[in-house]
Amino acid sequence: MQCQPRNSPATTLVACHECDSLYRFEPLVPGATARCGCCGAVLLRYPRGGLTRAIALYTTALLLLLLANAFPFLTLEISGRQEVTTILGASIALYRQGMGELAVVVLITTVLGPALLISSSLYVTFSVHMRRYLPFTRTLLSWISDLAPWVMLDVFMLGVLVAFVKLGNMATMHVGLSLYAFVGLILVSAAASAAFDPHMLWQQLDYRKKS
Amino acid sequence: MRARDFGLASCHTCGLVVKLPAVGHVHCPRCASPVHSRKVNSLSTSWALLLAAMIAYVPANLFPVMSVVSFGKRQSDTILSGVIYLFVHGDWPLALIVFVASVLVPLLKMIALTYLLVTVQRKSYLRHQQRTRLYRIVELVGRWSMVDIFVVALLAALVNIGNLATIEPGAGAIAFTTVVVLTMLAAANFDPRLIWDHQGEK
Repeated sequence: MQCQPRNSPATTLVACHECDSLYRFEPLVPGATARCGCCGAVLLRYPRGGLTRAIALYTTALLLLLLANAFPFLTLEISGRQEVTTILGASIALYRQGMGELAVVVLITTVLGPALLISSSLYVTFSVHMRRYLPFTRTLLSWISDLAPWVMLDVFMLGVLVAFVKLGNMATMHVGLSLYAFVGLILVSAAASAAFDPHMLWQQLDYRKKS
Repeated sequence: MRARDFGLASCHTCGLVVKLPAVGHVHCPRCASPVHSRKVNSLSTSWALLLAAMIAYVPANLFPVMSVVSFGKRQSDTILSGVIYLFVHGDWPLALIVFVASVLVPLLKMIALTYLLVTVQRKSYLRHQQRTRLYRIVELVGRWSMVDIFVVALLAALVNIGNLATIEPGAGAIAFTTVVVLTMLAAANFDPRLIWDHQGEK
């Protein structure tokens, strides 16, 4: 089968990571996405707004993450008695009930993973943007794509909705300040990851190194 | 035109296209990670993780994921009975989402991965595009199965009111998380480029 690239001429070589088709690329224009003509996978993206947008969004995400973890998340009220929880509280509850393994998975997917992903993305984009070749930039950048699927903020939000419905019949539920910050965090981090393409950053790091 | 035909390989970490040596292996000059034409031992690793997930799927559905202890009375829920409870007491759109995320997705994901692994091993030269798309969907939706575990964690954190009511996570929750994590790892270890490696031969 012969595959023709959808955006032709030439400077860098790119091989599709899903079907191994080989392409030659001219640098993309901002906002452009190059897809494989063979299997349709995204080969390269040049996010609109450049690195400044990514930095702004990741800084916002980091602040929202702090807010989301600093205040009560949900409050449950049954006959005058209140029970408050934070996001971290979900992991702690599992740990206290003797489910340590489960607590670790929940901790990684809802607290540690997001914190690591957001702060390292911010660090890397900042490092490339400032043309300061800060230490660990390459190591962090190579972790980011592996970490991304384990950050499950959106899935956790669906879990919150289900918990709401399940408890709604027998108790009154109050939404805490953190929940609003959390919803904001999901939206902002989605926008941030759209403004961030690891392969593009690798290319930019490469130019910096050569020049 | 495929990278392998030219003795080239794309670095898995940074995407740089690197010339592979005839013998031995090479490290990416840009990010220093080892470069391979295909993921190493992709099929056997995926199979191992997938089979382990299939085994864990049995206790995940048989054992309760959580128990409500209220006034000394204990009521246990499995994944399936939790979904049924939502259908009966909650609103059905939410129940449908949970049914898809925690019953359909894990099951279809294991079937899809088995199909992908078997067709690659039998050197199938059919439907490359559809199989690649199937792989992409499997990779994308897998994480949503964790929703039930988050519900259990949240309920356990919120409902802990002395002897009025306590919610305890059950053994099924650990088995179910194992299924989700193992299938995610199996999908990550599968190399979709293998699907395209048998197009000319018959």
